[in-house]
Amino acid sequence: MRIVIAEDDPLLREGLALLLRAESLDVVATAEDPAAFLAAVDEHKPDVAIVDVRMPPTHTDEGIVAAVEARRRLPGLAVLVLSAYVEQAFATDLLAGGAAGLGYLLKERVGRVEEFLEALHRVAGGGTAIDPEVVGLLLARNRPDDALARLSPREHDVLALMAEGLGNTAIAEKLVVTEGAVHKHIRSIFAKLDLAPDDRADRRVIAVLRYLRK
Amino acid sequence: MTLDGLRRRTHAAVDALERLVGGLGTAVLALALLFWLFIVAVTSLAGVGLVFAPTAVRAVRAVADRERARLSRWGPEIVGPEPLAPGLRAWSDPAVWREVAWLVEHATLGFVISIFSLTIPLSAVQDLTYPFWWWLVPANSAPGLVFWSVHTQLDALAVGLYGVAWLAVGFFAGPWLARAQAWPGRRLLAPPPGTDLSLRIVELTATRAAALDAHAAELRRIERSLHDGAQNRLVAVSVLLGAARRAVARDPAMAADVLERAQAAAEQALAELRTVVRGILPPVLDGRGLDGALAGLAADCGVPCRLDVELPRRCAVSVEATAYFVVAEALTNITKHSGATAAGVTVRIEDQQLKISIEDNGRGGADEDAGSGITGIRRRVEAYDGSLTLTSPAGGPTTLRVELPCGS
Repeated sequence: MRIVIAEDDPLLREGLALLLRAESLDVVATAEDPAAFLAAVDEHKPDVAIVDVRMPPTHTDEGIVAAVEARRRLPGLAVLVLSAYVEQAFATDLLAGGAAGLGYLLKERVGRVEEFLEALHRVAGGGTAIDPEVVGLLLARNRPDDALARLSPREHDVLALMAEGLGNTAIAEKLVVTEGAVHKHIRSIFAKLDLAPDDRADRRVIAVLRYLRK
Repeated sequence: MTLDGLRRRTHAAVDALERLVGGLGTAVLALALLFWLFIVAVTSLAGVGLVFAPTAVRAVRAVADRERARLSRWGPEIVGPEPLAPGLRAWSDPAVWREVAWLVEHATLGFVISIFSLTIPLSAVQDLTYPFWWWLVPANSAPGLVFWSVHTQLDALAVGLYGVAWLAVGFFAGPWLARAQAWPGRRLLAPPPGTDLSLRIVELTATRAAALDAHAAELRRIERSLHDGAQNRLVAVSVLLGAARRAVARDPAMAADVLERAQAAAEQALAELRTVVRGILPPVLDGRGLDGALAGLAADCGVPCRLDVELPRRCAVSVEATAYFVVAEALTNITKHSGATAAGVTVRIEDQQLKISIEDNGRGGADEDAGSGITGIRRRVEAYDGSLTLTSPAGGPTTLRVELPCGS
């Protein structure tokens, strides 16, 4: 897996590179600002980009803008965005074009190396990794959706884990139930959200987006 | 006239008397000041008086403000003009010349009105009581307007009638005289009708908005230094610890190395937190004031530090906190990087600016872009509309100058 890191803080940039290289991952370039990052993407055509939200010059949402631009230049590029705090607007901007191959994690999750690597691999494989805190915030802030309100608490839990990007097996492990039970919950969610069974692959993403979008 | 009307009249007359006495007070001040202005003006022709010109304009403003306060007590409030420009430039303010015009009027006409008005009640008392003591004085020394010689009690009672007349004049003319005396002041000391007052309001609104902006900029600065400083350090600690945990079985030597880096990052986080906290509002400022707080910094400095602070008054808390932050950061830099054997800090207030100068005899070559603390200092100073200049030739000496507006 070829990785480009965009992070303006030198210590953190080095730390991340060190961590990933120690895991035998291929960090092909590190960048300290959006321009250098985009140049590195053009040059190395990486599989995954790890991008900090706050970068020079204004330290607001440069990372999000750069990530969106990088995906425009290199379709299929998986992007894992790291943020010091949860900002709903950033997550919404990022997910506007769909959630496949995207991740949005709080920076401190990186320290939990196993989970971080798992999220990184999931994103690189075209999946989604959304920080539980981001999911929670989006759930709390979004205006109530009548269809979502019909879900039972257990179905809420399942959908939240789906939004984090977990597969059925992982969800079953987290909730300590069987995979069959998870399947049942998911079918029930699809029914309550009026998602027809004709296009199964998309229903998962649509259900999650219903959750995450305003 | 009804009894109630009479009571009102009496009240108005007593009020008028009080106002006229107050007016006499400022008129005497005005007269004295006019005399002083005259001397300054004449000696200015020879050049000597120019030394006193800036003081004179402030004296004019002080007397005018006194009159404004007096008039505001007795009627609609009079809004003063904007503060005087420093030095001789104050004389170019049109408001000052309106004040001088008022000064001339009040020292002459206003003075005469006061004196005349005060003779009315005195004459009334004198004439009314005359029938009781007329035999004590010579026949032809009856008061003021009496044109007959007083030989009998009847003559004296006739003088008493004058007293009644004076009393009537005082009753009816008193309030009118007080108004007449106040009128030039109300015209000349208030801002010129129309635009000027709105300009003043615009200016006050702007300064208030600027103050709020500075406050917001300050909060943004604190937020940023927490996010980009301490928080990033702590994330780095977490990342490095994660890496170390993974490495500990595989490669203990590497794990030890990573742990050392993690510890260094944690120490950096602590140092940055200290800086942020010190930057918000050092508690020592409250207790000992800026000069006391700076003395503490100089004493703690790693190199001998000479301190020269002259602060005739206190500045806004936020300005003092910024000054303290600037000196603290600069002295830390000197101790860490300069190799100096002596440092000096000078603080003055000039032209409503707090001027701070910090110098050392170190090796110089301080570079603002090389990640020294100077960037942080500049950010902070500029949030307060101040300026920063760094002179640091290779080989030294290094001088850091900071100016902060500290208002009047």
